[in-house]
Amino acid sequence: MSFDLTPTDDLRQILDAAQTMLDTHYPVARLRTDGQTDPMEPLAEFGTFLLALPEDAGGAGFSVVEEALLHVSFGRHLVSPSALAMAIAARIALDAGRDDLAAGIGGGQITVCTAIAAPDGPLLCEPAGTTYALVVADDGLTLRPLDGATQAPVTSMGHGRSMTRLTALPDPSTDLRAKVETARLHTLLCAAQLLGIATGARDLAVDYAMTREQFGRPIGSFQAIKHHCADMAIGVEMLSAQLDMAAIAARDGADDAAFQIAALACLAPRIALENARTGIQIHGGIGFSAEADAQLYLKQAHVLRHCLLAGDLLSLPAPMAPFERQPA
Amino acid sequence: MRLDPGAADLDFRQKARTWLAGNVPHAPAPPDGQASRAYALDWLAKLHAGGWSGLAWPEAYGGKGLTPGRLLTWYEEYVRARAPSTLDCTFVALNHAGPTLIACGTEDQKAFHLPRILEGRSIWCQGFSEPGAGSDLASLKTTGRVDGCDLVINGQKIWSSFADIADYQELLIRTEPGSKRHKGLSWVICDMSLPGITVRPIRNMAGVSHFAEVFYDDVRIPLTQVVGGLHDGWTTAMTTLGFERRTAAMALQLELSVRIEDLIARAAPAPGSAMADRLADLRAEAAAIRAMSYRTALREPATPFDGSVVRLAFAELAQRIHRAAMDVLGPDALTDGQWVHEYLESYSETIAGGTAEIQRNIIAERMLGLPREPRA
Ligand SMILES: Cc1cc2nc3c(=O)[nH]c(=O)nc-3n(C[C@H](O)[C@H](O)[C@H](O)COP(=O)(O)OP(=O)(O)OC[C@H]3O[C@@H](n4cnc5c(N)ncnc54)[C@H](O)[C@@H]3O)c2cc1C
Repeated sequence: MSFDLTPTDDLRQILDAAQTMLDTHYPVARLRTDGQTDPMEPLAEFGTFLLALPEDAGGAGFSVVEEALLHVSFGRHLVSPSALAMAIAARIALDAGRDDLAAGIGGGQITVCTAIAAPDGPLLCEPAGTTYALVVADDGLTLRPLDGATQAPVTSMGHGRSMTRLTALPDPSTDLRAKVETARLHTLLCAAQLLGIATGARDLAVDYAMTREQFGRPIGSFQAIKHHCADMAIGVEMLSAQLDMAAIAARDGADDAAFQIAALACLAPRIALENARTGIQIHGGIGFSAEADAQLYLKQAHVLRHCLLAGDLLSLPAPMAPFERQPA
Repeated sequence: MRLDPGAADLDFRQKARTWLAGNVPHAPAPPDGQASRAYALDWLAKLHAGGWSGLAWPEAYGGKGLTPGRLLTWYEEYVRARAPSTLDCTFVALNHAGPTLIACGTEDQKAFHLPRILEGRSIWCQGFSEPGAGSDLASLKTTGRVDGCDLVINGQKIWSSFADIADYQELLIRTEPGSKRHKGLSWVICDMSLPGITVRPIRNMAGVSHFAEVFYDDVRIPLTQVVGGLHDGWTTAMTTLGFERRTAAMALQLELSVRIEDLIARAAPAPGSAMADRLADLRAEAAAIRAMSYRTALREPATPFDGSVVRLAFAELAQRIHRAAMDVLGPDALTDGQWVHEYLESYSETIAGGTAEIQRNIIAERMLGLPREPRA
C-alpha cells in the first residue's frame, strides 16, 4: 500500500528488543542518584549508532523512521543526550570521509557528548570519558575533538546529571561541520526523545492517578486529575502523529521534509515541558521530591530543548497552502 | 510506514484538482435558511454528477468506496480549492444518517433514502438533544407511544442543526413506557413535513439561524420508520461505521491548515515578533492536526480513540487560531466579516457533538483507563 501508517513488523521487533535493553541498563530510577553518566556500550551493542547507516558503511540499513521511533524509547528512559550526539556524530564522520571515526563511534569505542553553546562557553552533558563533543549552536552542529580542552565542573540544574563547561577550546581546524540534512536529522531525533519524555511523564502520572487514593477513592476519579491526564494524552498524540509525518518525509527526502521537521521542533519542547509539569502536579508532594521520578522528566526536557535546533517555521512553504482562485 | 503516492494516486490528485478548479462555486454560501439549502443541494448535485459524492460510502450503496489515502487526497484538494464547507446542511445525511441506515436500516429504508442523500435531493437533521438532556443524552424524555402501526410522538428537541430546512430527522425517543436511561429508546426516521411538528429556528451568537427547537404534538410516525430494533435505539445511535469515524471530520481538520495560512498571509508578522512566534506555534499545531488525520485514516487497527483525541485537539486549535485572528484584525474585529464570523462560530467547536469536558472524560476513561464518572 502506498499510504499506510501502520507500524511494520520490523519496527515492532526493534522496539521490543530495545525495550528489554533499556529496562536492563537504563531504568529511569537510576537517575535518582546525582551526577549520573550513562554508559554508551549497551546502546552501541544494540546497534543504535549504526542503525540507519547504509549497510556498506557498517550500518544495519534501517531508515530514519525506525531510528526516530527508537529514540522515542530512549526519551522515555531519559537516556543521556550522548546517545543523540553519537547517532549524529557517526554520520558527520562518514560524510567527512572519516570512516575510522564513524566505525569507532558506531562500535562505542569512541564516545561523544553533547555540548550546548552558551554565552560563557559550551555546556558539556555527561562528558566523562568522551573524546569528542557535538556542539549545538544556533548556526548549526559541529563535531569537535576534546583533546586539549579544559573543562570546569558545573552544578547542573537541580543537582541532576553531570555537566561541565568548556573553558578553553581546542584547535578548531579539526572540527567537522554537519551538513544541513544531518542537522535536520538531529532535530528529528531530539524531538523524538522529547516525545518519549512526554509519553513517559504521561504514563507515570496515569499510573499514579490510578493507585494513589484520597477521600477514599483514586485521585484519577477526580475530574481535575482526569482532565490533566487527558491533556497529557492529547499532547502525546499530536506530537507522535507529527513525528511520523516528519520522519517519513525525512526518509523519503520529500519536498515538505523541512516544514514537517520544523513544525515538529516547534511542538516538541512545549509538549514535553508541559507534560512534565503536569506530571509533577499530579504527584502532589512526592512529585516535588527528588526521591520520585516525576521531576526527572522535567529536567531532561530542559536539557533536550536546548539540544534542539529549531528552524524558522514561518519562512518555509506550507504543504497545504491554498490555491489561487481563477477569476470568475 | 509509507506515504508515497504512486502514478495512479498522483493522477487521482490531478483529476480532483482540475475538477475542483472548474466547479467550485465562486459565490459564498448564503448564511442560513432556504437559500443555504438550495446552495448546498446544488453543490452536492454537482459533486454527484461529477462522480465525487459518497466517496467514502461503500460501492454497494452507491458510494465510491475510496481508500482512506484517496480520501485524504480528495479532501486536501477540496480545502485548498476553498470548496464549500462540508459542515453544511448536507453533513448529517452524508456522515451520520446515511452510514447509520447502511449499518442498521431495512432494505426499504436504504433503497429509499440512500440515493436521495447521495444525489443531493434530501437534507437530514439530528434530533437527539433536549432541553433537559444534553451531555446526559440518556436522560431524554420525548416519548413515542406505540399505537397500532404507528408511534405517536410527543415532546421537544433542541439545538437540532438545520431542522428548519431538513426533509428528515434522525429522532431518538423513549418508546418503552417507564424505561430508564439507555434502555427503551428508539431511533426513528421522522419526516419533517408531518402534521404536529413545529420548528422554531434559534439564532446563534454569530447572528445566523443554523439550529432550531422542534416540538412534537401527537406526531404519527409509522413503525416501519424505526431504524434498528424497537426500544433498541441506543444501539443504533451508538453504531458508527469505520468509514464514518475515519472520514466525517477529515475535511474540517485539514481545512485548519488552510485557515492558518490565510491568517499568516493576512497578518504578515515581522520576523521575530511575538505575533510571528504565535503564528508559528499555530502553524505547527495545524500541521499536527493534519498528521493526526493521516494517522486516524491510515493506521491499522483503527482505535475508536484516535477520533476523539484529534477531534478535541482540532476544536481547541480552531478556537485559538480564530482568537489570534481577532488580535490580527485589531479594531476591525468589531465589525462583521468572514474572520469575525468564523471566530464567533468557533465557540461551538467545544460544545457541539459532545463538549470538550465530556471528550476529556472519554479520553481519560476509555483510552487511559481511569475510573469512570459517577452515572445517574
Ligand atoms: C452548534 C451546535 C449544533 C448542535 N447540533 C445539534 C444537532 O444537530 N442535534 C442535536 O441533537 N444536538 C445538537 N447540538 C447539541 C449538543 O450536542 C449539546 O449542546 C451538547 O451535547 C451539550 O449539551 P448541553 O448544551 O445541554 O450542555 P450541558 O450538558 O448542560 O453542559 C453544560 C456544561 O456542563 C458541562 N458538563 C456536563 N456534564 C458534565 C460532566 N459529566 N463532566 C464535566 N462537565 C460536564 C459541559 O461540558 C458544559 O460545559 C448542537 C450544539 C451546538 C452548539
